[in-house]
Amino acid sequence: MQIDRRIIYLFVAIGTILPIIFVIGLPVSITPPVQMAFDRIENQLQKGDIALVSFDYGPSSAPENAPMADAILRHCFSKGIKVVVIALYPLGGLSEAVNEVNKVVAEFPELKYGVDYVNLGYKDGAQAAMKKMAENIHEVFPTDMNGTPLDELPIMKNIRTYRDMKLVVSLATGIIGEWWANLVNAQFGIPVIVGPTAVSAPKYYAYLEAKQMAGLLGGLKGASEYERLVVNSYPKLAEVYATPGLYTATKGMDVQSIVHLIMIAFIVFGNIVYFTSKRKPRKAS
Amino acid sequence: MKRQIPLLLTFLAGAIPTIAFFVPQKHVGLVSTTLDSWLIIVAGFALLLGVVNVVQMNTNKIKRQASGWPYAIVLLAGLAIMGFFGVAGAFDKFGGIATRPDGSSTPFDWLYKYGFLPLQGTMFALLAFFMASASYRAFRARNTEATILLIAALLVMFGRIPFGEMVSKWFPLATEWIMGKPNMAAQRGIMIGAALGAASMALRVILGIERSYLGLGKGE
Repeated sequence: MQIDRRIIYLFVAIGTILPIIFVIGLPVSITPPVQMAFDRIENQLQKGDIALVSFDYGPSSAPENAPMADAILRHCFSKGIKVVVIALYPLGGLSEAVNEVNKVVAEFPELKYGVDYVNLGYKDGAQAAMKKMAENIHEVFPTDMNGTPLDELPIMKNIRTYRDMKLVVSLATGIIGEWWANLVNAQFGIPVIVGPTAVSAPKYYAYLEAKQMAGLLGGLKGASEYERLVVNSYPKLAEVYATPGLYTATKGMDVQSIVHLIMIAFIVFGNIVYFTSKRKPRKAS
Repeated sequence: MKRQIPLLLTFLAGAIPTIAFFVPQKHVGLVSTTLDSWLIIVAGFALLLGVVNVVQMNTNKIKRQASGWPYAIVLLAGLAIMGFFGVAGAFDKFGGIATRPDGSSTPFDWLYKYGFLPLQGTMFALLAFFMASASYRAFRARNTEATILLIAALLVMFGRIPFGEMVSKWFPLATEWIMGKPNMAAQRGIMIGAALGAASMALRVILGIERSYLGLGKGE
């Protein structure tokens, strides 16, 4: 029995729209890969340490990656970790970096640009840039995205290579996240956390298991788990996440949960009909 | 010479970083790091090449009035408008490409936030509908392998959502086991295979055996 696909589309549309309007607030459970990522920042990095956050995604996966970026940035700033932001994704990576950093920094008025965080902008040739940053970041990014020479920025004065940083976090769509794990971590040893889209997340388990990654935030679920961990550890951030109208991964998971249930229901229904229709000719004979 | 020079450049561009990786000698490393800098610059030009290609293809489409040619006009108009404000913003015209200090949007930022971002999001949101329809049609227990795939998919989909844990704590555990063990093993196999293939292809290109990138066939 073939269901008109428009009926399926209608159910998915209703399943998407209703949880946005009527927020359910489903609980979020924490999985080990996300816990590992959180523990790395919470327990292994100290106040004043430098984390490199690379925006390797664009608007197409922003609903998944942006909440991860926000949660990571809020965690780092709450802990006093300094953040160096770059973008390696050509289709909107820089704009995403600017928007998310500006959004989160507005919640921390005590932070100073150039001292506590910096945005170095976009650089082409992802792998080449990653490799070159191991020799001298100042050659790859001579200025920040506003054109200020790096030597004039206090945060960048003592940062030359990956050795001067404690962590790389890549929020990625596509293959760029893999390059951080299999090129930067493999060759230069800096711990890497990757926040890929849910579609890409399965392949990162190989890197996680091989200890080439220090943590993994897989898709919207991973982002919602990290939000939960951050709110539990820094209760002040609960107010931020409770802001009306603010899109968060936790809210998005309500939608994903309902749509998953709809898809499971259709799959089960389809199989029941398939087996029922297979049996019918036997009964007739 | 038309053939030899590109082949020689390819050989040098491939061989030098490979040798530098294994030979910890200062001068070899210096040449390799210089090549890395050049690669960043060349990658920028490759982006430009992509833009030129898109303009050429769509201009031809409009000239020939091929199927869908009005959309080619829309594409070129979007490219021209965003490109203009992006390049102008890079030279600090119109306030740059990000938000202004007073919180107002520059033209590029406005186009990005209210044009590009929602359109890209919509394009990828459509995938949810196609996936729902495709999974209804594709996930049938027709044979043993399809049944295993079906069960694994249902477990992962159910285990990933809070409802799964509400029903039983075993669903998220089963999901993590599937992702961390059989999936990881399969991904490793795929990655190793792909890496060996890529290494083999890279060797063929470096040694000049594979010349299709020059517009030549094997042995030409």
